[in-house]
Amino acid sequence: MGVATATFVETFRGREWRHFDVQLLLYVLLLIGVGIVMGFSAGYNDPSAAGGMTQTVKTLIWAAIGLTLFFVAASVDYHWLRTLAAPIYLVVLGLLTLTMLVGTNLFGAQMSVTVAGLDFQLSEVSKVLMIVVLATFLSARRERIGRLSTILVAAALMAIPTLLVFRQPDLGTALVFVGILVGMLFMSGASLGWMGLVVAGVLGAAPIVVSMLQEYQRQRLFCFLDPYADPQGACYQLVQALNAVGSGGWLGRGLTVGGESQRGYIPVQSTDFIFTVVAEDLGFVGSIVVLALFGFLLWRVLLIGWQAGDAFGMLIAVGLATMILVQLLINVGMVIGMMPVTGIPLPFITYGGSSLISLLFGMGILQSIRMRSHKPTL
Amino acid sequence: MADLNDGRLDLRRSSARFIAFGIVTAIFLTVLGGRLFQLQVVSGGEYARRAAADRTVDVPLPAPRGLIFDREGRPLAVNTPSWTVNVRPADLPDARTGRILARVARLTGADAGVMRERLDAFRGSPYDLVPVERGVGREAALLLAEEAEQLPGIVVEVEPIRRYLDETGEPVGALLSHVVGYTGPVSREELTTLEPEGYLRADVIGRSGIEASFESDLRGRYGMQRVERDPSGRLLKVIEIAREPEPGTNLMLTVDARVQRLVTRALEWGMEAADVSQGVTVVMNPQTGEILAMVSLPAYENNKFAAGISVEDFNVYLADPDRPLRNHAISDIYPPGSTYKLVTGIAAMEEGVTTASREWPTYACYQIPGAPEGECLFDWNRQGFGPLAMVDAFAKSSDTFFYQMAIATGVDPLAEWAHDLGFGERSGIRLPGEEPGIIASTEWARRQGRAGVFTGEVAQAGIGQNVIAVTPLQVLNAYAAVANGGRLMRPMIVRGETDASGALVREFEPEVIRTLAADPATLHTMRVGAREVITSGHAYNIRDLDLPGALSGKTGTAEFGELTPDGTLPFHSWFVAYLPSAAGATDAELAVVSFSYSAVVPGNVSAEVVKYFLQLYYELDEDLRLDPNDFSLVTAN
Repeated sequence: MGVATATFVETFRGREWRHFDVQLLLYVLLLIGVGIVMGFSAGYNDPSAAGGMTQTVKTLIWAAIGLTLFFVAASVDYHWLRTLAAPIYLVVLGLLTLTMLVGTNLFGAQMSVTVAGLDFQLSEVSKVLMIVVLATFLSARRERIGRLSTILVAAALMAIPTLLVFRQPDLGTALVFVGILVGMLFMSGASLGWMGLVVAGVLGAAPIVVSMLQEYQRQRLFCFLDPYADPQGACYQLVQALNAVGSGGWLGRGLTVGGESQRGYIPVQSTDFIFTVVAEDLGFVGSIVVLALFGFLLWRVLLIGWQAGDAFGMLIAVGLATMILVQLLINVGMVIGMMPVTGIPLPFITYGGSSLISLLFGMGILQSIRMRSHKPTL
Repeated sequence: MADLNDGRLDLRRSSARFIAFGIVTAIFLTVLGGRLFQLQVVSGGEYARRAAADRTVDVPLPAPRGLIFDREGRPLAVNTPSWTVNVRPADLPDARTGRILARVARLTGADAGVMRERLDAFRGSPYDLVPVERGVGREAALLLAEEAEQLPGIVVEVEPIRRYLDETGEPVGALLSHVVGYTGPVSREELTTLEPEGYLRADVIGRSGIEASFESDLRGRYGMQRVERDPSGRLLKVIEIAREPEPGTNLMLTVDARVQRLVTRALEWGMEAADVSQGVTVVMNPQTGEILAMVSLPAYENNKFAAGISVEDFNVYLADPDRPLRNHAISDIYPPGSTYKLVTGIAAMEEGVTTASREWPTYACYQIPGAPEGECLFDWNRQGFGPLAMVDAFAKSSDTFFYQMAIATGVDPLAEWAHDLGFGERSGIRLPGEEPGIIASTEWARRQGRAGVFTGEVAQAGIGQNVIAVTPLQVLNAYAAVANGGRLMRPMIVRGETDASGALVREFEPEVIRTLAADPATLHTMRVGAREVITSGHAYNIRDLDLPGALSGKTGTAEFGELTPDGTLPFHSWFVAYLPSAAGATDAELAVVSFSYSAVVPGNVSAEVVKYFLQLYYELDEDLRLDPNDFSLVTAN
């Protein structure tokens, strides 16, 4: 009898639940809570009716869906994902191609992916699924891990979805894909020399990527170098974000009291620029608390990776850690003028169902890894 | 080497790399924290000051554009609330652009591809609003507002758009499109010159017709308000209105939309009957120069422009060989044919070449003086008419008579009298795109690099052929000046300013360009001749119309182009007429010119158009229109 039956039975016995990582769940819930409070604060003075309230309600609904997925994923043995890696990869390509086709309006509006009023962004879930695909591939390389072919095949696997999201055009997600690839290759034990060469090559291609961008994307991209060069034009948003963050001071101006970032219904503000609200309303202390929560969370994720029962689990954990870290760096870095403005959600905090549900699904897989890491292998 | 996998076939796990990963993570988080400390704690005060200063901004308040009414107070150009779908690119998530536009397209019935094109074509700040669909209905605008939360980056704004109406109030702008014109968005290139004058991005400006020539009056003066805004540039509340907008001036045209309709009906009928592709008919009050109707066919629908014309629609207009966007009454020049004999007649009498009573021989073919024997110019009937004096020569339109007049007068005096009657110069009507036309003279020939004008050309110029080119409005205005006793009036298209209901509050004065230099007796002779054209000339049964006056006028044709298979040349046909109380009187209050381009049916279709118009205008019971097969009963000269 195979692994399958045993795992199935054990799931029902619930032996693993003793190893459930409560800290991981706690940090996640705290970050979601920060997101809800900040989203409410950002939308509080919304002149276009009760946007703040519906946003809060929606986030709660998404969190509930996400947590359900979290527990389902936790209770299933994550090794199942390895068996499914090939179909998962095809699904990712399918989803992204679908998004692109819908994006260019080939089939009209009927294919708009709206489930129960929730506008689903397929690139979000693709990130988590691609981590599984890469983990499957890398963990099977074993003694061949140090070869150049490892890097090239992994890069090729990642290249297709990366180009698809880049074409959308979603530069931010493309960057996250690249970050995940680098992080997982590094932790898989791939050759540092070969990686260095490939990274150098990719950096050499950067000007080509920049030349493929829309003019406004390019302007926005390089604002961070000198935001006050064009404060009314392309860099307007960044200048305003810096003003908002800066005026937060030590302790912030308080929730919903109407500061720089407290102005009505601003979609970008409750999504990509949500950290300006955190920084302005809660000040330096609040910002550091939020950064610390991310720090604790990353610590738990890495710990789970370290203790994982096998390389497959370890690589999934590392991939998720990289994803969260890269998004955090890009998003917060952008708001405080250290990174180009690309538009990417801040994990758990940014208002948006697809990001939140995908992340909670990923955290569920982590719990599954954690709960099965102390189990003797068959 | 740490191996936590008990020697199984699995990847080795490197503790060094785990530690490195953790350290890098910690460094990144520390850097973020350090930058936050610098921004918030070290420079916090500075940013707070900047934030406060950035919060208020001056925003222009557009003034409502002036309305346009016809002379009876019927609205012809109005502002209707319309909803415009804008995109603020910065707020539009890149990855969802396609789906959001598709959704907007479904709610508004617009074309997502076209919206995408307009968005992609935009080259400005991503915080600008890019109008992607104008003229959206109220229902669709409400639906968009309901889904606002699912449509980030989509901003629906109310903005008035122009709606052009016909005489019944229906939104049919084609009736008056060449007069009223249309507005269009200001382009980015124009903005550099227009911005100092107060034009805004995505502003509109008159592009054609009255909308263009009275742009500064219609536009009014934009106001200014100080508002508080949010970091995304969204307006939150108005702090104060620094300057109230001044609405644009409402204008009343001299045109009567009902008359315009009758003229259009008559011209459309004639053009269809004679298979003519371009036609012009203009009606004027000769006493004041007021244009009562100005029809140029084919016309275009200016409402299409008001809502932002699509490239396809615009290309259809551009590709049309009959150039529907042009006002043929003022923007195109044609040989005037025999209608020009008015000029030659006046010139010959004023220069002492002939008197009203002196008879001249006419010929089947007139030998050009100085040319080789046999090089002659035919009279139109190829027989001649025997000896004729001015009135009969004008009535019978004898070409050989006027060849002699032109040659004896000389090309330069002929040109001077033409200029006196308004040819070769713009009339100054307040419509854009007027052409001055071409009048042959020695100076004109020198500009062509020639020593002078050939005698044959002078003869041809005397009957309005060959090198003479005029606008239909010039022909009408010259006859109107003769009809009113010698005042060349500035053609008026705007009668005055009105209040918002279309009641006249300020009337513009008619303007005399000049009093004709010709002796009043000379003009009287020409008026009698013009009456004779109708009564004894070859205008056929138009004399039988039961009109409240003594219709006077002149036919004309001008051959041009290449021989048709049956050996004839296509020709333009003209008919110009005015209606005084009696022959020779100067009290006419109605003058009309009709022009048909490239008729292939023999005869003068323009005379039929004027006849039909007069029947409609005076509500005559009898229909004297000829069957198109019988058009040739009115000789084409």
